[in-house]
Amino acid sequence: MSGIDVDLAVNGLITGLFYALMAIGLSLIFGILKIVNFAHGEFYMVGAYAYTLTALALGVPVWVALPLAFVAGALLGWVTERTLMRPLYAGYTSWGLMRDEYAVIVTFGLSLFLINLVDKLIGPYAYRGPPLVETSRVVLGPVLISGHRLLAAGIAIAVIAFTAALIKWSFWGQQIRAVSQNRLGASLAGIDTAKASAIVFMLSGGLAAFAGALLSPVINASPDVGIFPAIKSYIIVVLGGMGSVPGAIVASLALGVIESFGAVYLSYQYRDGFGLVLLMLFLLFRPQGLFGEKGREV
Amino acid sequence: MAGSLRLDMLGVALTVAAALLPVAGARAADPIKVGVTITQSPPGSVVQGTQVKDGLEVATKIINDAGGVDGSKIELVIEDTQGLPEKARAAVEKLITRDKVVAITGEHQSSAALAGIEVAHRYKIPYINTNGWSDAIREKGYPEVFNPGNYNSRVGGAAAATMKELGVKRVLSFAENTDYGIGLAKAIGESLKKIAPDIQYKYVTLDRASKDFLPAILPLRANPPDAIINLMLPPAAYIMMNQVYEQGVAPSAKTWLYDGSGLADYPDFWQNVKEAGKGMLVFGLYHPKMAQPPLGKQVGDAYTAKTKNEPNRLLFQAADSLFLIADAVKRAKSTDAEAIIKALGETKYTGTRGEIIFSKEKGYAFNQWLDVPYVTFQLTEVNQKVGDAVLVSQPGQPLDKAKLWAPAK
Amino acid sequence: MASSSGTLPVANPSGAQLSTTKTTVEFRAALVAMSVVALIPLGVGNAYWLGVLIVSMYFAILAGAWNLLAGYTGQFSLAPATFAMIGAYTTGLLNYYFGIPPLLGIVAAVVVSGLIGLLLGRAVLRLVGPYLALTTLSFAEIMRLVASNSIDITRGDLGLGVAGLLNSRIGWYYLFLGALVGLLILFYLLLRSKAGLFLQAIRDDEVAARRAGVNVVFWKTAAFAISAAASGFAGALYAHFAELATPELGLIGQTGLIVSMTVIGGMGTLAGPLVAAFLVYVLSEWLRDIGGYQLVVFAALVVIFARFFREGLWGLAKAAVQRWRRA
Repeated sequence: MSGIDVDLAVNGLITGLFYALMAIGLSLIFGILKIVNFAHGEFYMVGAYAYTLTALALGVPVWVALPLAFVAGALLGWVTERTLMRPLYAGYTSWGLMRDEYAVIVTFGLSLFLINLVDKLIGPYAYRGPPLVETSRVVLGPVLISGHRLLAAGIAIAVIAFTAALIKWSFWGQQIRAVSQNRLGASLAGIDTAKASAIVFMLSGGLAAFAGALLSPVINASPDVGIFPAIKSYIIVVLGGMGSVPGAIVASLALGVIESFGAVYLSYQYRDGFGLVLLMLFLLFRPQGLFGEKGREV
Repeated sequence: MAGSLRLDMLGVALTVAAALLPVAGARAADPIKVGVTITQSPPGSVVQGTQVKDGLEVATKIINDAGGVDGSKIELVIEDTQGLPEKARAAVEKLITRDKVVAITGEHQSSAALAGIEVAHRYKIPYINTNGWSDAIREKGYPEVFNPGNYNSRVGGAAAATMKELGVKRVLSFAENTDYGIGLAKAIGESLKKIAPDIQYKYVTLDRASKDFLPAILPLRANPPDAIINLMLPPAAYIMMNQVYEQGVAPSAKTWLYDGSGLADYPDFWQNVKEAGKGMLVFGLYHPKMAQPPLGKQVGDAYTAKTKNEPNRLLFQAADSLFLIADAVKRAKSTDAEAIIKALGETKYTGTRGEIIFSKEKGYAFNQWLDVPYVTFQLTEVNQKVGDAVLVSQPGQPLDKAKLWAPAK
Repeated sequence: MASSSGTLPVANPSGAQLSTTKTTVEFRAALVAMSVVALIPLGVGNAYWLGVLIVSMYFAILAGAWNLLAGYTGQFSLAPATFAMIGAYTTGLLNYYFGIPPLLGIVAAVVVSGLIGLLLGRAVLRLVGPYLALTTLSFAEIMRLVASNSIDITRGDLGLGVAGLLNSRIGWYYLFLGALVGLLILFYLLLRSKAGLFLQAIRDDEVAARRAGVNVVFWKTAAFAISAAASGFAGALYAHFAELATPELGLIGQTGLIVSMTVIGGMGTLAGPLVAAFLVYVLSEWLRDIGGYQLVVFAALVVIFARFFREGLWGLAKAAVQRWRRA
């Protein structure tokens, strides 16, 4: 492996870590509600703004602003679930059998609403979030990386590991997995399915917001900042299999590395296209992805 | 029931009347309306749009305070193009058909300008291109379009000359994937071929909407070029600069970083790049130590008083655009489009940067002010103000190599 | 729980008039709205506002086409704007490189968009809901990236200069109106025929429809192709009107606008999306000068309507009329 390949691999993996933060939540939502949240990118955006604005305008120290961003995302997730998603399984919309379509429209509309609201209230300008540390260059063997990115990657690993452990071993994690497998059965067994859904949305929103905050020094906060990461998340969730957290993690890292190498060896201009092409191919030929349950087909 | 019916009819009548009001139009004091198309929201460069707006407003105030143009005040009508050609086209349409402006100006992004001039040409309304550098704008040869601002071939020539004077052998340009970036990259290539054919040159186009350029930068670490030229605008330019610096490529002992986009003028430049900007060589259309006509000083001071910021080149280009329109209207003694266009062609006006005359040569020089002054300066400290930066070349003079600074590693 | 499309049209042997179905009522309402639009130039001569109305018609066609696909057939594609962009570039490129006259270019645009729509529709046959949405979203983004990056061919974000077709604004006004009304009639005839029943049956319960003998594969693909062809047609017309084709036409934000118009107007109704397109676009231009909150309001309306008023403005208007009749 030549020197540059190590660089590409490391950078790809680090990018993949941030993708994973975004994608885990989306995967969980699909597992429990069988829908894709098209407003997921806006949770990321809210986190980026929460972190950046509290740190810059209110002077809050960065280590406080970071968890604040998580809280902001979680709050938004909870409100979304409560007002828009409840009807999905409580059955009181006029959409009848078209639950999926309802979810698509409603989350798509929510996405547009949030983007334009922020654009009008805060302004279209991008705000650069303060980095966690000021070192601009850290040497890590053959790889050069900015101090902030290194620290952010470390934090991301910790959070991802913690979340995965939570889902696998905690009480609520088990509840969530039960509801994902069989909603009716789980509720018969006495599990509060509404609460499980709410927790999933809060977790999803919080994680995405956290990602937005961590990356805001590099990808500055702007109203449409979430669109890009959202598309990556959709790709990953399908690749990894909707509903599978380990699948989402593996697919995230894989996508990061593929894009990194593809950009240098295949085509720089179309690097964002690789993921999209993969997405289309998987959706058309293997909708359950690498690890997930069988996709809903007719 | 009858009462509410009458109320309904009154309501309808009022609504119709209100709807027709804009059509009735303003007949009152007849201000001279000048249409302005600038970027006020993304994805275009909002910072540029704001600087242009400020420049136009300062110039408007100066003209109106002095009594306007033969008694008529100038009124700016501003439309947001978002930097998108389709919106620019719609904006110019709107200004001409709805607001009936006497001239269009303010455009600062080449792709938007290219779309806008088509509409201006169709309606035969004068169009003063404030900051569209693309040679293609001039090459169309539209008689309505006048260019008192910078042009790609100027930067191309300047960059090539600087590269030659630096004595480098391999040069790489990072250009944004717009007509501006690519046009500039090609112009530099052309100039290099002419004056320094032994310099190896290539350019890489980067997506201005992308947030990560590492894949384009990493391959350079093994074999860095002698100079990297930036042909991108913020925010992508900042991301690129930070990553180029983070990877130890430039500015460094081996590689010069040269900016052809006027980044140092942006108010958020240092906040975004910090150390990555130290040592950057800049193609500057404005430097406080440059010689300027008195009108330039006046505009600069008024701008600083109004915004608390240091003047920048867009300010002067915008102010000149408006002064030229006012001057043409005055000489033509009319706001008729054809008369203004004729008067503009005969311009001999000392604006904020020098005496402006428009060349008649076909090609990139058509209706262009050829002698746009420029300097080269180098940023030597983080957070350094442009005024404190070291001037390494004055207009018309070669690079003073003794003044250059290079980092140790 | 199939939502009804009204009573089945009963063929009367003596050729007397068929009973009025829901679709016919909507069609008549739409025609009335179009007549109002046709008369506007008599009162408004301002080129700017006529231009705004022309763009509204462009969106009305796109909304109507998307409505056919999503509202009537239940396929929520997120690529309507993409087909408009494809149509625009087809005619634009043919004109720019080969000098093909605009009229032929427009025909070519319809054919090309329709074909691509056919292929895409075929490929996504077995996908539903979010999977379909994601696939079409990827398709949309890929197409836009291609248009934007192929700078040597399409001139990328710079935009492609396209020849004009008509010289007068009024001419364009009636051309667009003619196209809109023509497509309206086409959709009406389609929906009133057996095809309309099949499409709605597919939307409401695809499995049941197949069991009842409906050729699901054919009709789903046909809906995609027709919708894409109509969108391509609109895009091509617009390209010659604006004399410009840019990747902007295919932005997801444009799709968002189209979806908003359809949802607010009333999905699965003939008149709703058409009228809503005018309302939304004209209001948005008018409000832009005042504050610019229009997009926020429209997006909020989409969420609210999706949540509470599935039948959109049309449904609300219908309910109001019924209550008025009863009073």
